[in-house]
Order: sequence, then structure tokens, then C-alpha cells
Amino acid sequence: MRLFLAALVLVAGTAPAAAQWLDRPWPGIPRTADGKPNLAAPAPRGPDGKPDLTGVWNAGQILGRPEPGDLQPWVLDLARKHQQEYHRARPYYQCRPSGPEAEKYGGWKRILQTPTVIAILNDDLTYRVIHMDGRQLEAEPAPSWTGYAVGRWEGDTLVVESNGYNEKVWTSRYGVSHSDALRVTERYRRTDFGHLQVEVTYTDPGAYTRPWGFEATMRLAADTEMLEAVCERSSEHWANMPDASAKVTVPRDALARYVGVYTGIYGGRERTYQVSLSGDELVATIVGPPIEGGLGAAGLEDGTPRPLVPVSQTVFEGLGLGYQFEVGETGPATALIVIHISGPYRYARRK
Amino acid sequence: MTPVLAALALLVAATPATAQWLDRPWPGIPRTADGKPNLAAPAPRGPDGKPDLTGLWNGPNPESIPDPAIELPWVRALVLERQRDYHKGRPSYQCLPSGPESDRFGGWKRIVQTPAAIAILNDDQTHRMIHMDGRAREAEPAPSWMGYSVGRWEGDTLVVESNGYNEKTWLSRYGQAHTEALRVTERYRRTDFGHLQVEVAYTDPAAYAKPWGFTAHMTLAADTNMLESICERTSDHWTGTRTEAAGRAITVPPEVLARYVGVYSGMYLARARTVEVTLSGGQLVAKVIGGALVDGGEIRPLVPQSQTLFEGAGLYYEFEVDATGAATALVQINITGPYRFARQR
Repeated sequence: MRLFLAALVLVAGTAPAAAQWLDRPWPGIPRTADGKPNLAAPAPRGPDGKPDLTGVWNAGQILGRPEPGDLQPWVLDLARKHQQEYHRARPYYQCRPSGPEAEKYGGWKRILQTPTVIAILNDDLTYRVIHMDGRQLEAEPAPSWTGYAVGRWEGDTLVVESNGYNEKVWTSRYGVSHSDALRVTERYRRTDFGHLQVEVTYTDPGAYTRPWGFEATMRLAADTEMLEAVCERSSEHWANMPDASAKVTVPRDALARYVGVYTGIYGGRERTYQVSLSGDELVATIVGPPIEGGLGAAGLEDGTPRPLVPVSQTVFEGLGLGYQFEVGETGPATALIVIHISGPYRYARRK
Repeated sequence: MTPVLAALALLVAATPATAQWLDRPWPGIPRTADGKPNLAAPAPRGPDGKPDLTGLWNGPNPESIPDPAIELPWVRALVLERQRDYHKGRPSYQCLPSGPESDRFGGWKRIVQTPAAIAILNDDQTHRMIHMDGRAREAEPAPSWMGYSVGRWEGDTLVVESNGYNEKTWLSRYGQAHTEALRVTERYRRTDFGHLQVEVAYTDPAAYAKPWGFTAHMTLAADTNMLESICERTSDHWTGTRTEAAGRAITVPPEVLARYVGVYSGMYLARARTVEVTLSGGQLVAKVIGGALVDGGEIRPLVPQSQTLFEGAGLYYEFEVDATGAATALVQINITGPYRFARQR
């Protein structure tokens, strides 16, 4: 059962550990009286008077998730299909460039700015180039993983327009596809020395019913360095993909014993699962507000019922997580254990 | 027979086709009277007076292979083992970063230079950073694919010292390994507007008896853009090894082998190529003369698969024979097709 959680191992494996040699003071940056980097100092400017975005930046996890209503039916259908496949086809899980995916705005990056070109270097060794030499956006650039990007200054805001993405890239980790009409608009503002804001909008009349996007704030990672995080093991090696033919049959009266409401703590917050019977199939639904970006987030729609496929009489598989019911000799289940790669989480039965 | 040639398929697939939208004139570059980029104009300089290496560069893969005599025995053994495996473990065949490998100094790259840092952006969507802020080289940076690089100017020459490479990277496509003690020294000179030269030296006393290296020559790829070349299919899918080919070997009588001995010439990828076939200890051996370092090694032992067909380190060689059984031509079978080399003597 643990094998199908390999996706999470991948994520955990790429988190770099901090090390002594990494943390060297950067020369020539503004500091407070106690010698710490002064992140509230004014943003630096280049010789052309424009804000200079150069630096090493870091941001927490980004949740770029459209509302299901933002998506045309074919995109929503495809997102559901990707969810059934544990998002195995996600470029990042296949060791391929993430392209315009929202989550790429989180994590580590280094920006290098010159008057004619801005390079954004990611810790997975992918990068983007934003042309600043006044050229127009190409109408039909060759489709690529990282797109074709042209930037311009509107006052102190860097506005970047991108297109030319291939159809393999996603715009969100939740399996959101796009058409070749995708345009990405980014508006960057370095509000002070230590903070860089970006507003991202995805526009795609071939895939979305309306533009959608998100905002992210990156923080200058002063006095340290960016470490590599190279993907070395693709999702091709994931085992135990859903296989309907391997289903175990659990009698309906046994399933009925598992129906109920279970509550426990996940990610430091209370979470409630409702388990119900739908036809002859057991279904788990997360009740209440989702834990944003939590490892249990199944897809676009947190409230989506997860069909539980029996693996044994008490263990079920539901969209990449294991579900085990604690039972006595008779009577209803006393607890539900949700098995993540990070460990089992016990939810006691409430009713 | 074809699966063993998958390495070449990978290379072919990664070669981008040119397209109309790509070729746009760059603004503000020196041009000759006929409007073409003037590659012989002086090298541009940045506000600090140093040469500015910024630009899009392209060049042939450098010819780079150390004298086997300077390889320490463990390196030599690994090189031979990797050759038997068709170099399947080469990082770029596994869709992993090439790190300090010499072939990475060929092909397409974009250099972005700022006073405090220089970035080198490769067409396979990897990049490296050269710190120019005056910092000292780290003694023990965390081992990584792209290493830790610090640069300084010596007159108009950019001198870059790098270390901190993990032991998965190779120094050449022929399988030369290194230890974590590897130091790479690069000396870049933009000799004029259109040309960038780099001298590269690999120093690793735990692997090589003395430093070795090469010089790479890049040309400014003006009025165009760089296309991505993303590896999407790893060598995990390759089947076959040279050991397996040897297992399928049949016996061909020595007098038949003797009919194939000779010198064969023809065209390969628009260049003349000569292959000398000799007998060495009862085994037929093909030696590529001139361009010996291209695709896989100078000496290819030929393992018989039939009376006229031989396997030679990932390529197949078929002899065309006349009515008397004497060879008239050698056909080298690549994934891109057969290449016929007529017998010269």
C-alpha cells in the first residue's frame, strides 16, 4: 500500500538540508543595526532607473487553483482523469520542466536582470528568459516547455506576457490543462528590498471560461545560496496504480459497518471525514474547509467524494491514500486511519 | 538490431528544425555593409570596462578525450565498462544534467552577464551560475550536478574556477569519471564580436595523473533564438549491451574475416570518413581514421552476428561482397540510416 504514495516521497526527497557553507553574508546589502539584512530598505534600482529584481528569492507553497467553474468541461474532465491517476502525468513528477505551473512560483529562484534580458533560474535547474529589448510577443513561437516571454515596464511594475507553451505543461498541480491559446500575464513589483510580489493571470479562451490566477509574495533569501533540487526519479517508477481488476470484494454488510463520521488532526488542524455508501461502493468525503496545499488535497475539488477501493476487508485505497478501519468483533468501526507517506493519521469515530 | 542504436535516436530527436519566427534581426548589433552581423567587430564591453560575454552562442562539440595513460586504473576500468554498456549511464542519456562534461561546451547556450554574476543557460534547460562578487571559492560546497563556480577577470580573460561536482557527472561522453575533488578551470576570451573561446582544464589527482582538457570555439548565433531541447526519454528504455551482443556472436572462419580487411571511405554526416578494418588476434577491428573521437571511441571490435554482419560498439557494420567473397564496401548502419563506405584498398 505504501508504494502508491511515492509521489510524496519525491517531494520530500527534494527538500535541501541547510548546511554551514551555504550561509555567507552577502556583501553590499542594506543591514539593520544588528547586522541582519534590512528587508524593509528601499528596492534597489538599475542604471536605467528601473527597479532591479536581481537576487535569490524564496516563497512558500503557492496554491494556484481555479474554481471548477473557471474551466471548460473538457479541462475539468481531464483534471478528474489526472486525479484518478494520482497526477502521475504532472510534468514535475516526470522530471520535466514545470513550465507555467502555478506551483513553480513557490520555492527557490534566482533572478538576474540586465536592460535587455531577465533570466529566472529555478532550483530544479530549469530557467526562463524574459526578453526586454522591446520586441513584440511572437504570434506563433514554436511550442516549448517554458514558453516565449516578453516584458516591459509600466512605472515600477514589470509586466511580462508569455505564450508558446506546449500542451504537456499544466497550469496547476491539480491537473489543469490548457490549449495553445494560453497567455500568461505576470505583474512583478519589488515593494521593498526584501519582497517581490507577483500577480499571475492565465487566459485561455480554448480552455477556460474566464481568466484565473493568483498572487504570490517572494522573500529575498539574503545571506544564503540556492541549492540544486534535481529530479532524478520520474513517476514512471510509481507502482500500484489503480487497477479495477484487482479489486477485493467486501460484503455490503461489512461496508455498512464503516459508514460514519470520523474526526482527527491532520496538518495541525482538525479534519473530518464522512464515510458513506454510494451504491455498493464506500466513499470518503472531507467535510469542512480544506487544508490548503496539504498533502491530502486530492484535486481541484476538495469536497469530491473519494471512492474507496477495497484492498482487504478493512483496508481501502482512495486516490493515493490508504484508508484502514479499526473494527471490533462486531458493531461499527471505531476509527478510521488515513495512511500517508508521512505516517498514519487516526480519526476517531464521532457518529 | 535497432534497439541498441537508441542512443543515436535520442540525439536526432533533440535536433530542432529551424522556423520562420526564429530568425529576427537583433537590434543594435554591428553590421557589415550588406546588413549581415559583423562578427569581426570588436567585442562589446560592459559599464565596468570588462568584455561582455552576453549573447547567444553555438559551437561544435570539442574533441576531448584524455590520453588513456593518464587515467588512473579505476577510471580506465570504468571507462571500459561504460563502453560495454553503450554509455547508457551517461547523464544526458538519462535526462540528467551534464554538469562539467566536455560536450556541454558545444551546442547552444545563452550567456547573461551582470557585474556580480554570470549565468550560462543551456538549451537542455539546465543552467549554471558563476559568482563574480569577489567571493572566495568554497572549500566544501554541497556536491551538485552543476558545481560551484567563482570567476575573476585577468585582463580581458574571464577565469572561472569550479568545484563541488557530484560523482554522477562525467567529464567526457566516453565515460571519464571523476571524484569529488575535481577542479575545473575555464579561461574565456571573447576575441571579437562574434567569437568566444574557452580553454578548459580538468584537475583531479585522485582520478588522473595530470590535468587534461581542450579548447572550445563558439560563434555568436546572431539574428536568431535558442530553441529548447528537452530530454524526454531516458536510456532506461535502451535494451541490449555489448556483452549481450557478444553472447549472440557466431564464429566466422579466419579466411572469411581476412577478406574484409581493408580501408573504406565514404561520407558520414556531410564529412568524409575513412574506416580501416584490420585483424587483431583473430578478431576484426574497425578504426575510424580522422574524426576518431566522434560517436563512441576510436577502436571498435567487430562481433560477428552473421557471415557479413558485425556489431561494433553500438553500430552495425555490414560488408558488401562480390562473387568471390571479397569485400567491395563497408556499410555502417546508424539509426539515421546506412552509410556506405567504398573499399579503397
